[in-house]
Amino acid sequence: METYPEAKKGEAAQAASPASPPAGRAARSGGKRRRRSRGLGAARASINAFYLPAVALFSVFVVYPLIRGVWLSFTNWNGYSQTYRMNGLANYQRLIEDPNVHTAFINTIVYGLGSTLLQNVLGLAFALLLNNRFRGRTAARTLIYLPVMIAPLIMGYVMYFFVRYNHGAFNDILGAFGVAPIDWMAEGPRAVAIITLVNTLQFVGVAMVIYLAGLQSIPAMYYEAASLDGASPWRQFRHVTLPMLVPAITSAVMINLIGGLKLFDVIMALAGGGYSTASLSTLINRTYFGSEAAGYASAIGIAMFLFIMAVSAAAQRYLSRKEVAI
Amino acid sequence: MKKLVLGGVAAAMVLSLTACGATNKDSGDGKDVTLTFSTNVVGEQATALEQAIKAFTTETGIKVDFSAPGESYEDLMKTKMAANELPDVFTTHGWSVARYSDYLAPVNDQPFFSKIADQIKPVITAENGDVYVLPIDQDIAGLVYNIDVLESAGVDVDSLTTWAKFGEALAAIKATGVTPLHMGGKDSWPIGQYGDWVGPSYFITDDASNQREALKSGTFDEATWQRVGGMMADWVQAGFFNEDALTADYASDAAAIAEGKSAFGFYGNSFIVDARATNPDAKLGMMPIPAASATDAPSLIAGERIAVGVWKDSPRKDAAFKLLNFLAKDENVQAIASASGNPAGLKGVTSDIGDIQTYIDKYSAVRTFPYFDREYLPSGMWDVMCATGSDILAQKPDAVQQAALTMQQNFKDKF
Repeated sequence: METYPEAKKGEAAQAASPASPPAGRAARSGGKRRRRSRGLGAARASINAFYLPAVALFSVFVVYPLIRGVWLSFTNWNGYSQTYRMNGLANYQRLIEDPNVHTAFINTIVYGLGSTLLQNVLGLAFALLLNNRFRGRTAARTLIYLPVMIAPLIMGYVMYFFVRYNHGAFNDILGAFGVAPIDWMAEGPRAVAIITLVNTLQFVGVAMVIYLAGLQSIPAMYYEAASLDGASPWRQFRHVTLPMLVPAITSAVMINLIGGLKLFDVIMALAGGGYSTASLSTLINRTYFGSEAAGYASAIGIAMFLFIMAVSAAAQRYLSRKEVAI
Repeated sequence: MKKLVLGGVAAAMVLSLTACGATNKDSGDGKDVTLTFSTNVVGEQATALEQAIKAFTTETGIKVDFSAPGESYEDLMKTKMAANELPDVFTTHGWSVARYSDYLAPVNDQPFFSKIADQIKPVITAENGDVYVLPIDQDIAGLVYNIDVLESAGVDVDSLTTWAKFGEALAAIKATGVTPLHMGGKDSWPIGQYGDWVGPSYFITDDASNQREALKSGTFDEATWQRVGGMMADWVQAGFFNEDALTADYASDAAAIAEGKSAFGFYGNSFIVDARATNPDAKLGMMPIPAASATDAPSLIAGERIAVGVWKDSPRKDAAFKLLNFLAKDENVQAIASASGNPAGLKGVTSDIGDIQTYIDKYSAVRTFPYFDREYLPSGMWDVMCATGSDILAQKPDAVQQAALTMQQNFKDKF
């Protein structure tokens, strides 16, 4: 494989420098320059050609739907008719006033921030524990990562058998102690907390793996130096581990945050997509297909897109500032 | 050389794609065609449909790609309608006229047309006289009840002619320690069933005083809906629903009535079939839906159920109509209608639905009305009924008033 750009750029620059050879050689080098320039252009063109499939796919599956979504958000389309009419900013005005959007917005923040916080704290704790050598370490890592392999919908249905009122595992346990059954998912805030915990349980393994990789990339010399200076394990964690883990924290937080803010499957499986536990994603689904208000659902989708983008950008910016160079 | 090889590969790919397309076009005799068939029905009914379709393939050689996605069917069909790319043959789950008529080919010229049962024909006929589906069965729905539970509570179903008397019966049943009504609110749609079952008695069924014309002309009376929602709120307050009405699912509704843990279900006769999947010995019956006022009489709901149509733009329309006519054979209609627990949709075919037929015969003189949401509400109102009913079940403050106002506003927006 040809490693092209830097070396040949250097040659081209040399050929064009004022300390050029006399006329005969200049004519020859001019010919070379043109050939090189043509070669450079062709190489760039062929390199750019490799981007084309990705650009085409991105355009078809991301850019076009986004533009189409923005367009539809200004219409009254019902989601399946061949006709619709423009209704200006009515959908956006409606979403500002809609109490279901307010509930879904708050729930989305809880799902996003709650899951991110829990997944990262627990993921880091597991990583710190499982970074030590002990018997059963691999089994423990596997066990914590295992739920990631299950589809979120399946995870939700499995957990439904724990929390349901009749014959649910939790109520059966309570019943064994003579405690009356509880309808765990009946109240909005409690149901939202349960969904957050289930999402955390499922994806804490992702954070753990990222932190394990981060911990293993920290050079041992920093700990040795800190030990020689008499730093306690807590001070080593505070002043060596944490700062060095910031790139891993950035990755884990961004993955968990975006996943949490887009939460859908677990909510549908556990709560069926009702308004009291709705996230913006489930609300969009219900509004689009159930209420047949695709234009309005698009407006909610655009608002959600902007919200996730703003939160992610803010988190990314904050965490990038905390990163330290080794 | 490389270019030559690449060119050859590309040409081969293009040719193979072209060949694929050519293979799946209707060749006239129906051979080498693969039809797509989608249905909303699941369980026993889907199995019966699939068996009939397999027999069609055996007889004609026409392959059929059968799909029964269940709960997501309606969403899937809306997406397909938006793309104007529908299955060759599909079931219309009660919406052959109101939603799918623009996408279906009329069947008025098909051999089975003259056999369509008189009761179902008006329901599936458009204003211009076109019929778009083969009705395999027909829905004659009332309230499903557990015979043993009602006997224990001393309730005579034929005396439950009004909602007031029905409420008294619910109290008597509750006194025996049985949950009178089991609601699978997690699935949302069972809540909408309440609106579809109770709504007509307040808006439609009373010949002396009703709002049929008003609804058809775009006026929705929120005060009347407050009476519908108010009755549900009263029942919630009285503890007539199961404790987990918001978080239980439809399957638990069927299980509860089958096991004698609940008394009534606001469902069609397929509910009896589903309940008996849990307990085959369950003694279940069907009764007419009570009236709202003493001057009115109980009624039944009549509607389209398993009805099959052909996409009007299907490139395999000939083969699709062959399938439709195959499904219209007496033995196929009989098998599928029996599996659904409903009377057949074609004259001269008697489905094997056991004791359910007893009730249909018993109440054959009772007036029938179409499904409330399909006939009198604009498309998209079903979810509004489910959502507002859910708020009433959750006993949210002012839920009844809010439900009525929301229904009115949405009716106006979607009309």
